Amino acid sequence: MLSVKINDFSHTFADGISILQAVRQSGIQLPTLCSDERLKPMGGCRLCVVQVQGWPRPVTACTTPLTDGLEIHTHTPELERDRRTLLKLLAQDYPIESVEQAPEKEFHRYLREYGLVPAAEGVATLARAWDSPQLAHDSSQPTYALGERGYSMRDNSHPYIHVDMAKCVTCLRCVRICDEVQGQFVWQVWDRGDRTSIRPDSGTTLLESSCVSCGACVDTCPTGALEDKSILTHGQPTSWTKTTCPYCGTGCEMQVGVREEPRSHTRQERGSSANAPTLLASVATQPSRIVAVRPEMLAPVNHGHLCVKGRYAFDFVHASDRITEPMLRSRGGEWQTVSWDIALAHVAEQFQRIVARYGPAGIGVLGSARATNEENYLAQKFARVVLGTNNVDCCARVCHAPTAAAMKAMLGTGAATNSFNDIELAQTILVAGSNATENHPIVGARIKQAALRGAHLIVIDPRKIELTKYAECHLQLHPGTNVLLFNALAAAIVEEGLIDADYVSQRVAEVESFDSFIREFSPEVVAERCGVPAKLIRQAARLYATAKPAMCLHGLGMTEHVQGTEGVMCLVNLAILTGNMGRPGSGINPLRGQNNVQGSAQMGCEPGSLTGFVSIAAGKSLFEQVWQVPVPQEPGLNLLKMMDAAQSGTFKALWAIGYDVLLTNANTHTTREAMRNLECVVVQDMFLNETAKEFGTVFLPCASSFEKDGTFMNAERRIQRVREAIAPLGQSKSDADIVCLVAQAMGANTGFTLGSAEEIWNEIRQVWKAVAGISYSRLEAGGLQWPCPTEDHPGTTILHGESFPIGKRAALQRIEHRPTDETVTDEFPFLLSTGRTLYHFNAGTMTLRTPNAVLRPHDLLDMSPTDAARLELIDGAAVTIRSRHGEAMLPLRINSDIPPGELFATFHEPHVFLNHVTSPHRDSVVHAPEYKVTAVQVRKAP
Amino acid sequence: MAEFEPVLTANIHKPDSHTLRVYEQGGGYQAIRKVLGGMSPTDVVELVKASNLRGRGGAGFPCGMKWSFLPKDHPGPIYMCVNADESEPATFNNRILMEQDPHQVIEGIIIGCFATKASTAYIYIRYEYPTAFRRLQAAIDECYAAGLLGKNIQGSQFSLDIYLHRGAAAYICGEETGLIESLEGKRAWPRIKPPFPAIEGAFRKPTVVNNIETMACVPHIVNRGADWFKSMGVPSTGPRDAGSYGPKLYCISGHVEKPGCYEMPMGVTTRELVERYGGGVWKGRKGKASIPGGLSMGIMTEKEWDVPLDFAGPGKVGCLGLGTAAVTIMDETTSMIDFLHNSCRFYAHESCGQCTPCREGTSWAERIVHRIKAGKGRLKDLDILLDIASSIGIIPGTTICGLADGAAWPIKNAIAKFRGEFEDDIKRTNPTGWMVEEAVEALELVGLGTGH
Repeated sequence: MLSVKINDFSHTFADGISILQAVRQSGIQLPTLCSDERLKPMGGCRLCVVQVQGWPRPVTACTTPLTDGLEIHTHTPELERDRRTLLKLLAQDYPIESVEQAPEKEFHRYLREYGLVPAAEGVATLARAWDSPQLAHDSSQPTYALGERGYSMRDNSHPYIHVDMAKCVTCLRCVRICDEVQGQFVWQVWDRGDRTSIRPDSGTTLLESSCVSCGACVDTCPTGALEDKSILTHGQPTSWTKTTCPYCGTGCEMQVGVREEPRSHTRQERGSSANAPTLLASVATQPSRIVAVRPEMLAPVNHGHLCVKGRYAFDFVHASDRITEPMLRSRGGEWQTVSWDIALAHVAEQFQRIVARYGPAGIGVLGSARATNEENYLAQKFARVVLGTNNVDCCARVCHAPTAAAMKAMLGTGAATNSFNDIELAQTILVAGSNATENHPIVGARIKQAALRGAHLIVIDPRKIELTKYAECHLQLHPGTNVLLFNALAAAIVEEGLIDADYVSQRVAEVESFDSFIREFSPEVVAERCGVPAKLIRQAARLYATAKPAMCLHGLGMTEHVQGTEGVMCLVNLAILTGNMGRPGSGINPLRGQNNVQGSAQMGCEPGSLTGFVSIAAGKSLFEQVWQVPVPQEPGLNLLKMMDAAQSGTFKALWAIGYDVLLTNANTHTTREAMRNLECVVVQDMFLNETAKEFGTVFLPCASSFEKDGTFMNAERRIQRVREAIAPLGQSKSDADIVCLVAQAMGANTGFTLGSAEEIWNEIRQVWKAVAGISYSRLEAGGLQWPCPTEDHPGTTILHGESFPIGKRAALQRIEHRPTDETVTDEFPFLLSTGRTLYHFNAGTMTLRTPNAVLRPHDLLDMSPTDAARLELIDGAAVTIRSRHGEAMLPLRINSDIPPGELFATFHEPHVFLNHVTSPHRDSVVHAPEYKVTAVQVRKAP
Repeated sequence: MAEFEPVLTANIHKPDSHTLRVYEQGGGYQAIRKVLGGMSPTDVVELVKASNLRGRGGAGFPCGMKWSFLPKDHPGPIYMCVNADESEPATFNNRILMEQDPHQVIEGIIIGCFATKASTAYIYIRYEYPTAFRRLQAAIDECYAAGLLGKNIQGSQFSLDIYLHRGAAAYICGEETGLIESLEGKRAWPRIKPPFPAIEGAFRKPTVVNNIETMACVPHIVNRGADWFKSMGVPSTGPRDAGSYGPKLYCISGHVEKPGCYEMPMGVTTRELVERYGGGVWKGRKGKASIPGGLSMGIMTEKEWDVPLDFAGPGKVGCLGLGTAAVTIMDETTSMIDFLHNSCRFYAHESCGQCTPCREGTSWAERIVHRIKAGKGRLKDLDILLDIASSIGIIPGTTICGLADGAAWPIKNAIAKFRGEFEDDIKRTNPTGWMVEEAVEALELVGLGTGH
C-alpha cells in the first residue's frame, strides 16, 4: 500500500497505479483528453499535469507511477492557469456551436468548466467559416475544409461513422485505440506540427480504408469529430441499459442507448440549438428506439470494445418487415394475422392432435441459440413435460456439438477449459479452424494484440486468414485432413520427446498404446496428404509443446466434418500430451458461434441430455423430483434425425424457436423433402424466415434480446445478464412467455406460470448444481463462470486443474483417419468450404437488415487467381457452383488468400441459398453436417 | 589567454584529412589500441567520468555518468546511438568533424561502445549532410578493412558494428528518443521518460545516445588523460556545477565578417568570438543581439556579450543554456519582430504534433507574431505571447520533450529584452489597436442521411 497526500488529504492506494488513477480514485476530477483506460498512457494533452512536492516541475499524472509518500497538488492556480491556456489553444479554431449540440462530450465539458464557451476573451472566436456545413448524403469523396492550419477532413462515406475533423483536438485516441485495441491501424497521423492531421489509411474515405467498423475510435473520441450516424440522425439516447451482445458466443457486454419519443415541442423547450433540426422531428415517430450501442467499459470479456455487429448492427429490431403479430396460414396458403388467443389455441390443438395420432415421438422442439438460458430451459422442459418427448435439439447440433461431445467424453465437461483472459497469459496460441478476427472479432483482436506483444501464434486453416499475418506458423492444410494433421503434430511431439512427462504420468491414460499407434502418423508420412510440409508441422509441434503455456482456440473448421468429433479429440490429445491443460494460459477452448449456443445445449435442448448436460438416465430422478412429473426415458431425436424421421413419415410436427432450419441445414434438398411431410410447423421468430415462408403453418412473433430479461452463457462458461432495453415491439412476446402460454393452452398449469426470468433461473439452479451459486443478485456485479456451486464460490475460470470430472486421468484417443466421400473428380474439381464474413451473421436475419449490408452487400465465392485465370473468370462475375447435391449462384471474388483447387463462400443470403450445394454427410458421432468440405464445379452463370 | 592548440580540429587542415592513412599518421587509433591493450570497460568509464566530459549536444549531461546508468550485467544487446542529426539552427560543428575527420569520431565511438559494452552503434545522420554521409561511410568501410570494426577488433574479444542511418529532415529527430523512434522506423515522436534510453532505448534494449563532438573528445581523453582535459575550460564553481572543461567547437554565423567554426577552450565570450575570430560585426555596424547556442537557447543582447560561453554562462543572463555553442550574431538593423517571426515559424513547423501545448502553442504564437508583423498587433498581444510561452515551456515540464521549451525561450527573451521595440512598432503600425473581428458564423445543424 502506498500512503500519499493529495491536496493535503492523506490516502492509501494499491501499488502499480498511476498518479492519475490515484487522483481519480480519491474522487478528484482531473481533466484529460488523451487518456483512456483502455490505452497506454501517452501524456500528450498535458491537461492532467500535477505538482508533486519537491519535484522541480509539474508532471503528467497519467504517465507518472504513484510512489509512496508523494504529496500531490492537483489544482494550484498555476496548474489551472496552464490548463485554461491549453484549452484556449485548442478552442481557437474549434466550431464552438458543436459544444451546444453535444454538451456531454469531454472536451465540451472542459470548455464549459473553464469558462471558455461562449467564446472567451483571448480566444480567436471561430476563425473560419466552414465550407460546407451541410453534408452530402451519399458523398463518395471526403471533403476537405481549408482552415488556417491546413485541411480538415469531413467524410460521410461510412454507413455508421461520421467524420468531421474540424472538431479534432489531436488527442490521438482514435489512432491509438485502433492500434492498441483493434490492431487495425486505420487512423494514421499525417504531417506534423500545427498541420498534424488524422486520416484513414486509405488516404481517401473511411469506407475505402481498411476499417473494420468496430467503432472504438468513436467511443473514445472526446469531441464528436468521430460520431455515430445513428446519434446524429435520431438524437442522443435518453437512457442506457447494460446487456449482453446478441451475436457471437464471445459474450461482450454492452450499453444499449434508447431514445424515448421526443414530442416535437419538447426540443424547443429544452432550448436546444436555435436552428432545430427538422430531420429529428420527422424520424422520431417510434415509441422508443435503440439509437446507439456502446461497449461496457468494465466488461471482463471485451474490456470496452465491440465489433461491427454488436456495436452497430442493431437496426434489425426496428426493421420494417419485422412481424409483431401472430399469424396462421389459411387454407389458401395465405398468412392471416390473428390474435394471440387464437394462435395459441390453434398451436395447442395441433400439438395435441399430433401427439394423440403419432405419439410423442412424432413431434419435436428446437430451442434457439439466440434465446436466453431461461427460455431454452423452458423449451426443453415443455418438450419433456408437456409433449412427453425427448425430441428437443438446438443449433449446437450443426456447429460445436462435436466439440461438446469430444470434450465431454475425454475430459468430462463439454465446454471451454479456460477463459478469454488466458489469451494474455499464453506464450503460444494455437488457432485451429477459426477465422477469429471475422467471426469472433473481439477474441481475434485480443489474439492479434497478444501476437504483437510477442506471443507465438500458430494458425491451422486452409485459407490465409488475417491472423496468418501475425502467425509464426501457418499450417495450410487441405480441407478434410484435420485428423491426419493433428495426429502428425502428436507424432512429432512423441517422436521428439516433447511430451510433458510429469503431467502425462499423473494425469493421462492409454499412453503406451497411443505411443505405438501415433508413430504411423509421422509428419513426413502424412505431409503430402495434408498439404503441409513436414518441417512446418514439426516447427508447430515444438512451439506448442515447449513454448508453454500454450492455449488452443478452435472453431467450426474443426467440427463441421465427417470426423468432427474425432478431430476435436485429436486436438485434446495434443493438450494433454504436452500438459497444456488445467493451467493459466492453456487448455482447449471452442469459440462458440452464437451468443447462447453453449447455453441452449447446456440447458437441455439436447435429445440425450437434461439441463447441465447430464444424461437422461443419470438426471431423471432429480428432474422428476423438481418437475413433479415423469421424464421420458427414451433418448429423443436430434435435428438431423428429426429430418430423417420426417422423410420416412414418422415425424409430423416441429416447433422451431428462432431457427431457420430450411436455410441453414446442409443439403437443402433433403431438408425440403423432409419438411414437406410435416403437418404442423410452428415458426417462432422476428421475421418471416425461409422455413416459415415455405413450410410454416403458424407464426409466433417473438421479441429480440433487447426486449427481455434473462441470461446468456458465453463460450467461456460465463453466465451474463440480458436486460430489457425496450419493451417488446407490437404484440411480440418473449420466447419464455410464448412457451408458457402454449403450455398453459395445452393444460399444463403448474411449472409454466408466467413469471420473471429470475424465477425460471432459480428453478434451473435447483436442477443443475454447477450454477446453484449463481444468483441474479450476484450477476448484477458481473458475469460468473460455472461451475459455481455455492453462493460464496467465485466461479471457475480454469477447469481440470487437479482432476477431471471423469477421474484423475484423461485417456488419449487413437483416431484413424477416414477420408470424406466428398472427393474431387474431373467433374467436381474444387473443394468448397462455407463460412461467415465479419459483417454478417449466419442466416443474415439480423445483419442483412442493417447497414452492414452496405459494408458487405453480397455473399461471395472466393477463388484463387490461378483457378480464376484458368477458368477465364473475372472478379465480380456471376458464377454457378454445382455439387453432386445441388447448385447455387453468386458473384465471384478473386482472392489470393485461397489456395488453388479450393473455394470459400459465405452463406448468409437467402436468395443465394448456398446449402443447396452442401452435402448430406454428417459427423459420425453427433451428426453435425459437413459444411466445410463439398466437391464442386464452377461455371460462369448463364 | 594563452595560445590554444587545437585538439579536435588538429587534423582538419591536412590534405585528405578524412582518410584512415592521414588520421593514423596524426596519431589516430592509438587510443583504441591502448584501450584494447589492457583497460577494462569500467576503467574507461571511470576515466571519462574523471575528465568531467559533458555532452556537447546541448544539455551538457556528464558523459561518463550517462554511461554508468546502463544496467550492469545486462545480457545484451546494448546499443549506442550517435546523434549526428545536428538540426539546431546555425549549428555545424558536427558537420566539420564528420566531413574533415570522420575517423576521430569513429575512434571515439569504438571506445564508447567498448566502455558501455555496446555491440552495435548507429550513427543517425541528418539527410542534408551528403558529404559527411559519404565520408563517414567510407571511413567505416576503411575500418572494417583494417580490422578496426567487425568481429574481434585488433584481435581482442571486442566486436562492434557501426551502421549509418540517414534521417529525413525533421528537427525532432535530434531529440534522443525521437531519434530512437525514427531509427526504429516510426514517427519521430519523443518518448515519455522514464524509462530513459539507458534502461529501454532502441529496440527496447539499453541504449546510450551521444553526440558526435562528445565522441570525438573521447580518444584524446584516453591518450592524454583526464587531468589534461580538465586543464582547459572553466572550473567547477561548486558541487552543483560540473564545470565546463575541454576544447569546444564554436560556430559563429549571422552578421559577422568571417563566419565559421572555431575551436577553443570552453568559456570564450561572445565578444571575443565576434572580434577575434568572426572579424567583427559586418559592414562596420554595431551588434544588437546574439543567439548563444542554437535558437532554442534564447537570445542575448549586445550588452551581455561578455558572459563566458560555458555551460553555466548563458543561464546567468536569462537564456536556457549553452546549447550547441552555435552563436548567431544580429546587427543593429535587425528587426526583433522579424527575428521572432522566423523563430516562431520554425518551431510551429517542426513541432512533432504530439503534445497539445507545443503543437497548438507554437502555431498560435506564430499567428500572433505574424499579425504584429502585418501591422495588426495590439499591445496586449505581447502579454498573450508571454502567457503562451510560459504555458508551453520555460521548464514547467509541460511537454514530453524540450522542443516547446526551446520554442518558448526566444519569445520570452525577445519580449523581455526588446519590449520597447515591439511596443513602438505596434503603436506605429496599429495606433488604434484595431482588430479584425471575425464573425461567428452559426453552423447550420448538420443533416445526415442514414446511409442505408
